Amino acid sequence: MLKTGSGDNFLSPDADVDELDFTAKPSRTLEITIAAIALTLSALAYYLAYNIELRFDPGGINARWWPELLSLIAIGLSGLLLVASLTVSEISRGDVEESNADGWSRMLKALALTSIYVFAWAIVGYVIPTVIYLAVLLWIFGLRSKVGLIAFPVITTGFIYLLFHYMLRVPL
Amino acid sequence: MNALFDGISAVLEPTTMLCMGIGVVIGMLVGMFPGITATMAVALASSFTMTLDPVPGLAVLLTIYVAANFGDRIPSILINTPGTPASIATTFDGYPMAKNGQAGLALIVSALVSAIGIIASMVLFAFASVPLAKLALAFGPSEMFAVVVLAMTIMISISSKSMAKGLLAGMIGLFIATIGRDPISGDARFTFGIRDLNSGLDFIAVIIGLFGIAELFDQLLTHRPHSQKPISALGRWWPTRDEYKRITKPTAVGGIVGLIVGIIPGAGGDIAGLLGWDRAKSLSKTKATFGKGNIEGIAASDTASSATLGGSLTTTMALGIPGDSVMAVMIGSMIVWGIQPGPSLFVNQPSLVVTITAIMVIATMITLAINLIRMPMMVKLLDMPVHYIWATVLVFCLVGTYATTNNIFTVVVMLIFGVIGLILKRCNIPASPIVLGLILGPLAESNLRRSLLIDGPTGLISKPISATLITFALIAIVAAVLTPVLTKRRNQKIAQES
Repeated sequence: MLKTGSGDNFLSPDADVDELDFTAKPSRTLEITIAAIALTLSALAYYLAYNIELRFDPGGINARWWPELLSLIAIGLSGLLLVASLTVSEISRGDVEESNADGWSRMLKALALTSIYVFAWAIVGYVIPTVIYLAVLLWIFGLRSKVGLIAFPVITTGFIYLLFHYMLRVPL
Repeated sequence: MNALFDGISAVLEPTTMLCMGIGVVIGMLVGMFPGITATMAVALASSFTMTLDPVPGLAVLLTIYVAANFGDRIPSILINTPGTPASIATTFDGYPMAKNGQAGLALIVSALVSAIGIIASMVLFAFASVPLAKLALAFGPSEMFAVVVLAMTIMISISSKSMAKGLLAGMIGLFIATIGRDPISGDARFTFGIRDLNSGLDFIAVIIGLFGIAELFDQLLTHRPHSQKPISALGRWWPTRDEYKRITKPTAVGGIVGLIVGIIPGAGGDIAGLLGWDRAKSLSKTKATFGKGNIEGIAASDTASSATLGGSLTTTMALGIPGDSVMAVMIGSMIVWGIQPGPSLFVNQPSLVVTITAIMVIATMITLAINLIRMPMMVKLLDMPVHYIWATVLVFCLVGTYATTNNIFTVVVMLIFGVIGLILKRCNIPASPIVLGLILGPLAESNLRRSLLIDGPTGLISKPISATLITFALIAIVAAVLTPVLTKRRNQKIAQES
């Protein structure tokens, strides 16, 4: 199996399957959990839809009925998923790729840093937080070159500032 | 005649041409870097094109769409990794050709047939979209609701490995679309007292989250360094007269396959490329060498995947139903500009339809010219360290989203949807039906409500067109559920017999 840009796997005519197979391992427990969470969220959606406050209720087709209908269909589909996850003999993760050893740490660090950056941007402004954010981000991604860690954030921040602030007139 | 003149002159404006130039560069780069899809790039670009006028904005987005379709062939041929899913089948013969010292030839043939595919599909757009739009203009609420249901079920049945998960994703999209004020009564739905939610979730923020951030986070999770170096010995570039003759038939076969697949909502270049390659192989006299560096294979796959563009555009513009995930994002941008794709577009803004056609054709010619110049720099770019690309994409997602509303709340929404998108991706729940549901949700709700009020509960099944469309939708669901079961049984039978 080879990995495409979007995460899809495919088998080319002369691919060495054993060597390149990174597909995630199937797990019945995971599929049951997914279906159970979907069922719970669908039920919650129905509850919220049922409790939509109406200023005037003409009866029949009001602001509630479409979200109620959708959540009821979602409950049905989640139920089907749950039954399938319990009864189907072959469980598959489809095209999902196995995560890398340090993948979770890299992703969670990037997410945490991005959340802090958004908060800092709202308080301090765009320029300084962006330079620091990019430098730390590159460090998390594995870059160790001092020139790269300084030059890239400064140039990118400046370019984005010029592009958005001056050319597209977005107040950064 | 005025519409034709106005449409073409709008494209020839210097600003529009500049925007097309920018779109070509972005599109080629996007296509070349595996992991960045055209959908992701168009979603990201749609944030900063919001501030532009519709025509220059469309010039950027459509040109990215076209140029990515050329750029993604380069890594497929040189490093056996498709730049986007549309070039999966290119690797089958492109990489073996490169290994045989014919990388330059493969690149040129790929560029030529891609251009032929796009131009042929634009001819289809020019001739088919107006009659299709005229037919759709006669549709009432029942028929429009049935069209939405059919489009969603076809897209879900094609794009989802699990029908139940695909339909669930569609429901999520339709449900998200209900957030905000009810369009008829004005009642607040799921706003929880947050004023920013009164007008609903920002569409661009949601799609950048689902397609940009979620894709990037998934790459951070799963990235493995490349062991393969790009092939640098490119060999000769131009085909011989005999090779031109050989690629004529597979190009025609691939073109026909691509045109048909392109019209079907949700079926994109990846499916067309694989089908085109397979059809050309079965009709070839040299089928034994397909997959081993046969020039006919690359001609068929690349024509087929490129020929989907016009078909996809036809469905999008004539019916208002996105032909593929890129078009789903494009519809979102057009709505923000005040342009509603659909049959009325051809009545209200005929010059815009001409402009779109002209942009697609000119973008194809410019990108083809760049590809034929055979820049050695393209090969060197494939060696660019991935951490620079990740950091750039991430910061552009953040700033681009902010640019849509100048409100940090939108960035927070985008990040939340990035995390939701990642969870859904890891759970094998596709994002495309969510976006489709989000776009078509208001259309579906308003038409269904009107249909029920005008025609009563039996309106959907008592009218012949809507009844036929609903029947097709049901067939699409049943076929998608039964096909894997029947295939499995047939394979088991064959295995037992052998």
